[in-house]
Amino acid sequence: MRAFLVRRLAFALVLVACASSAAFLLTRAAPGDLTTQLGAFPQPEEVAATRARFGLDRPVVEQWLAWGWRALRFDLGESFLYNRPVARVLAPAALNTAILAVVALFAATTAGLALGVVSGSRSGVAAALIRVVSAVCVSLPPLVTSLVFVFLAARTGWLPAGGMSSAGAGDLSWSAWLADVAWHVPLPALALALPIAATFERLQSQAMAQVVSEPFVQAARARGVPGAQLIWRHAWPVSLRPVCAVLGVAIGALLSGSFVVEYVTTWPGLGRLMYEALRARDIYLVAGCAAMGSAFLACGTLAGDLLLAAVDPRVRDEAGT
Amino acid sequence: MRFRASRLTGVAFSLIAVSTLIWLVRSGRAPQGSPGPAEAQRGGQLVVSVRSEPRSFNRIAVGNQSTELLSLLTQARLVRVNKSTFELEPWLAERWDSSPDGLTHTLHLRKGIQWSDGVPFTSADVAFTLKAAMDPKAGSVLTSVLVAGGKPITVATPTPDTVTLTFAAPSGQGLRMLDQATILPRHKLEAIYLKGEFANAWGAATPPADMVGLGPFVLKEYTPGQRLVFDRNPRYWRKAPNGDGLPYLDRVVVEIVPDQNAELLRLQSGATDLTQDALRPDDYVPVKRLEQQRTLTMEEIGVSTDADSLWFCLKPEARKKDPRWAFVQRREFRQALSHAVDREEFAQTVFLGEAVPVWGPITPGNKDWFSPNVPRYPYDEAKARELLKSIGLEDRNGNGVVEDAKGTEARFTLVTQKGLTWYERGTAVVREAAAKIGIALDVAPLEFGQMVQRLRACDYDAIYMRVLVTDTDPAGNLDYWVSSGEGHFWNIASKTPATEWEARIDALMEEQAGTIDMDKRRAIFNQVQNIMAENAPAIFFAAPRLYAAHSTRVRGVVPSVTRPHLMWNVDMLSVSAPR
Repeated sequence: MRAFLVRRLAFALVLVACASSAAFLLTRAAPGDLTTQLGAFPQPEEVAATRARFGLDRPVVEQWLAWGWRALRFDLGESFLYNRPVARVLAPAALNTAILAVVALFAATTAGLALGVVSGSRSGVAAALIRVVSAVCVSLPPLVTSLVFVFLAARTGWLPAGGMSSAGAGDLSWSAWLADVAWHVPLPALALALPIAATFERLQSQAMAQVVSEPFVQAARARGVPGAQLIWRHAWPVSLRPVCAVLGVAIGALLSGSFVVEYVTTWPGLGRLMYEALRARDIYLVAGCAAMGSAFLACGTLAGDLLLAAVDPRVRDEAGT
Repeated sequence: MRFRASRLTGVAFSLIAVSTLIWLVRSGRAPQGSPGPAEAQRGGQLVVSVRSEPRSFNRIAVGNQSTELLSLLTQARLVRVNKSTFELEPWLAERWDSSPDGLTHTLHLRKGIQWSDGVPFTSADVAFTLKAAMDPKAGSVLTSVLVAGGKPITVATPTPDTVTLTFAAPSGQGLRMLDQATILPRHKLEAIYLKGEFANAWGAATPPADMVGLGPFVLKEYTPGQRLVFDRNPRYWRKAPNGDGLPYLDRVVVEIVPDQNAELLRLQSGATDLTQDALRPDDYVPVKRLEQQRTLTMEEIGVSTDADSLWFCLKPEARKKDPRWAFVQRREFRQALSHAVDREEFAQTVFLGEAVPVWGPITPGNKDWFSPNVPRYPYDEAKARELLKSIGLEDRNGNGVVEDAKGTEARFTLVTQKGLTWYERGTAVVREAAAKIGIALDVAPLEFGQMVQRLRACDYDAIYMRVLVTDTDPAGNLDYWVSSGEGHFWNIASKTPATEWEARIDALMEEQAGTIDMDKRRAIFNQVQNIMAENAPAIFFAAPRLYAAHSTRVRGVVPSVTRPHLMWNVDMLSVSAPR
């Protein structure tokens, strides 16, 4: 297991380095640079000063090497958009995305697995309805769901139409602030969770349908094991493998931030930050977001693999050897 | 049987879901309540939204819209241009005396004013601010603004509440140039300026307590990506006409909402009270409906001072090797294109009828400077073809595109900004009109940064966009008019005028900027507008009528055609109901 973890850590480091460097170099190569944010007709002195301040007057390789050397010491440079160190911008955005990701993942997993068990182990109207809803939700792009939810929230007032907290949140006590955030989180979390829950439901349903027809389940039924116990204690753990295989990727993707959902619902997370940084060609912020996103992705896939190992002893044995 | 049950269930569910959705959409929320009393009430909180983060709170070093809004909230000027009447008003200076030759202006500061941290405001603060604003090494964006006769103005402070400004030559703008210079605290920023770090002072990461000002509000907190919160400045110096202390509001919250659709939805839901930008044409009808339901108030701002336009890159150094340069540089070519566009149809299609046709950069929205007598190019395809033929452009091979005698086709790539629906409609109308007279325009929507890079490098055939002017007074936009200006968009920063008519404009603008007599200034500027329209370096189509929306609880709104449209008088805004 130790060797497995060391390998994965090394892989994560390589992934972070490659992703952030690629983001850095591609942003540098893209047409326009951050001085285009100074407007269509800035003064040449202002353009020159900005380019010098952010190293854009140097060759790209030299700039990349200088940035890489600083990054090894956890100095990710300064953000043009936010006028502060990149690390100080990334940290709160990453935390906000993590909050959203955890809630979305919890909702998607509980709903997806539970409904998948029901639809996979039964037939009838309920199971059919679940299958139809899943099929619809899997095909809905997050952009559409976000816009629909924001629109519905604005029209009905049931939930805030975006943002992470209310206008007066700064004056709230810690517990009141938590409650305020809890009131704001369902909208973006639902937009994120729906397609993932539908994916989990489909996987769980198919796996469950396969497992319930296995001889060991039939034998347990013949021995008189009650229905609910048969499903949840005997069949369900065995059916989890395909779900866990996807769970790691889902965790990583959620933690990296969905820029579409965060942008439309105005959630101040990593995805939205990356999008704004890309638009502004804020080169160090783009590289920092890519580094953070890839680190989360690596953590997410590791978590998924560990979960898979917990669920399937064959994977544990493989990892051990 | 199972399959049929599943299918029927799916259909039934879909019908129920769609019906519920329609019911939710149509039912909507109850109106926000009765508008309440018309007179201003003290107290309450106003929530506004902006689309981008502020990079800096230092208006001298950064001149974008976000920083301008924040400076209105927290800072003050010596004199102010009223954005409704465009008259110059006393502000921190309660009165001024000007010499008959317009070279010396003595401003008398209001007495007893304090910075928000309690330190007295004096003429030393003004001297420091203007020194920094005129120092190019300090990173100021106002160095080209605070000049007269090509030289920076000189500042003297004979007493703690007197400032004397001396101009090297008469300035048509006069004291109006001070409208952009927000006064900064010497006790907070002089040390930073002397260290050579003024350009980075008061960046977005500055602790709120360090940012003192003379404006109606003080920054209380800034959460990046989310909001800025401003509380009432208890030491604000201004009073309402009835003697009430200002501002009326206790708090202004500025929410950062990057997406304009989400911004409008939040306005509709009551989460925000007003937005900074005017409404998009597509939003007029739904917002009008909400106004009828008494959910929002829609303000008619007036005709925009900026118009959508198309221009070709006319920089000879960049274009003379292009075979098309032979005819692009001819005014007849551009006049022909102008004749080809039906501006009434343009206004109808692009702005849904809410626009006025224009033929020059100064629109009817700029009441002081608009000339109705500039040469016009009425819609006339025959005339357009005649003009093209007069410079040798005809469709010789019958493919629908005119070419010159050497066979060079009049085919161009038209660059515009991606993602703006009215730009997309505008380019479609112009392309169709151009095609009818044999000019082929291939539209290429680009992301903003990419478009700006091409614009600055003159790496484009033609561009369609709206050039925003910062000042309604043309003397405040010399960069736009003179050949050497960075805003001379069809031929940016030319060392010498590329054409005889541009040389004439340069001379006239210099004369206009150095004349104090307003009638004479207008007469000179009318000549400039005529030359511009005759030679058509850019083709202007229509200036939209602007509308903005706000919550029914907001009082004291006086719309302005310049930005920010609804918040330029933020100290006079109030709300009728607590939030």
